[in-house]
Amino acid sequence: MIVAHVRGHHTRPEGLDEHARASWMGGLDARAKIAGVVAFVVVTALLTRTDLIVASLLLSVSFAAMSQVPYRHLGSMYLGALPFILIAAVSVFLFAGVARGFDMWARTSSCVLALLVLASGTETFELFSGLRRLKAPKLVCTLLMLTYKYILILADELDRMRTARRARGFKGGRGILDRRGLKVISYTAGMVFVRSSDRADRGYEGLRARGFRSDMAPSRATRLVARDFAFIAWFACVSAVLLVLQLEVVL
Amino acid sequence: MHIPDGLMDPAIAALGWAQFVAVMAVALYLSRSRIKDKDLPRIAVLAAGIFVAQMLNFPIGGGTTGHLIGGALFAILAGPVVAIIGMTVILLIQALMFGDGGLTAFGLNAVNMAVIAPLMGWGVHTMLRPLLSRGEAPSGKAFTAGEAISIGAGAWASVFVAAAACAAQLAVSHAISDGAFGIAATISIPAMLGYHAVIGVGEAIITVGVAAYVLRVAPEMFKVAQGRTERTGALRTVFSSRIVQATAAIMVAFALALPLYFIYSSEGADGLEQTMEDAGVGEGEVLLSSPFSYGETYFAALFAGILGFIAVALLGLAIMKMIEVVRTAD
Repeated sequence: MIVAHVRGHHTRPEGLDEHARASWMGGLDARAKIAGVVAFVVVTALLTRTDLIVASLLLSVSFAAMSQVPYRHLGSMYLGALPFILIAAVSVFLFAGVARGFDMWARTSSCVLALLVLASGTETFELFSGLRRLKAPKLVCTLLMLTYKYILILADELDRMRTARRARGFKGGRGILDRRGLKVISYTAGMVFVRSSDRADRGYEGLRARGFRSDMAPSRATRLVARDFAFIAWFACVSAVLLVLQLEVVL
Repeated sequence: MHIPDGLMDPAIAALGWAQFVAVMAVALYLSRSRIKDKDLPRIAVLAAGIFVAQMLNFPIGGGTTGHLIGGALFAILAGPVVAIIGMTVILLIQALMFGDGGLTAFGLNAVNMAVIAPLMGWGVHTMLRPLLSRGEAPSGKAFTAGEAISIGAGAWASVFVAAAACAAQLAVSHAISDGAFGIAATISIPAMLGYHAVIGVGEAIITVGVAAYVLRVAPEMFKVAQGRTERTGALRTVFSSRIVQATAAIMVAFALALPLYFIYSSEGADGLEQTMEDAGVGEGEVLLSSPFSYGETYFAALFAGILGFIAVALLGLAIMKMIEVVRTAD
């Protein structure tokens, strides 16, 4: 179980894909989920009318509520992304007024929430192979899968080294001019690299032995079925309505 | 520096995607001859390591902390092309798994942190190293003090220029959307530049520290494409020169980072001209008139700028050569 902090929030514990299996979203094709959510996020990012932004936020919240992903989990993931949302919203609030600040907060929150439901409601490697089948570059997808695999290992390693560091009396640097503190931090980071390189070599040999040839193409090709199309159609309709209202297109 | 969805004006976000797709296409093309199958796990480990290293917050003082971006570190350890692809992978994982940085803003985030930061870091380091570092590293050290300074300068520049690009994107979003998106230039530019000038120092110290550790313990660990066949031919000799590559990297980083500032360029008088006007002093008769001018149109000015850059660069190289000749004569 990994409890390393990623700048204030937690990395996904290895058991996290359980949320995806528990949610009805886990049964959908990853391509359908990516296409639907991306359409919704792109349109939401365009909105400037407050009523539409609120409507989009409500849609995101109801999507989250219906997804059967535990609220606590979504809440903690949202809190992790909150600093980036708040920096934007608060600076707009301070210099352009409450209404603009609220718009900024609601718009970014709606997008982040929809993305988090997508991430939590999909098994990680399903998500990556969905990207691959949507024609994302081969090299990028292969590196995504390998990097994610190593992040889980390295986060564990870092956690162990943090404990050891604390045991030796390190309490964190005092400031940017604290040479010793920064030296310890950079050597910790350096050690993470060196320790993991052996693992990379062994991992590569293992991959070759299992027939890996530079492309992590999904071994089973699934087809989009009726419920996948229903998912896409729902998000396409919602996005189209929001877009038409925002652009005030007269039909 | 992760921009969420809905913060930027859609036109700026689209511009970011266009820039990112163009750079990524070139990077993927160049990677075909550089990255082999067996390099993939090590690149992934380096990317994962940078991701994990980003978790290490360092104190800036006053209760705030900064964290490593790692673009310069990635590029110095593994080269700029690998760094662009690897940093893109890191940002994708952050956007898809953790909601750090949005999808519509992904182009901008990738341009700032996965393209500008590594190119700037690698370019500045590669340019400065031959100037600052001479001779062998002292025993027990991975590199000379001069090389450490060049790595630090590269890391600082990578953070600062990436932040400058991000500030311009925020400011221009605000200006063209009438305040619906982005953050006003009067706030975003000083805040981003001021904060990241300090964060850059932390990034520089940690980058030097990590590079010192990794290069001492395992110098060849992340070198990709060691067995790449050397190119021959006059043009290829020029393109395989490190200084030419570094210059190109810095120019691409600036070309991506700075154009948005042009909308703030003013037709008004500069400080000296304004003072002269206030004091009622006019310009006297010119003793020597230049045969060149900056031109009236955008492209004429651009052409003049490129010519000027080349002239100054050649002059600088000539001076450095002369210094070297004088030194060896001693």
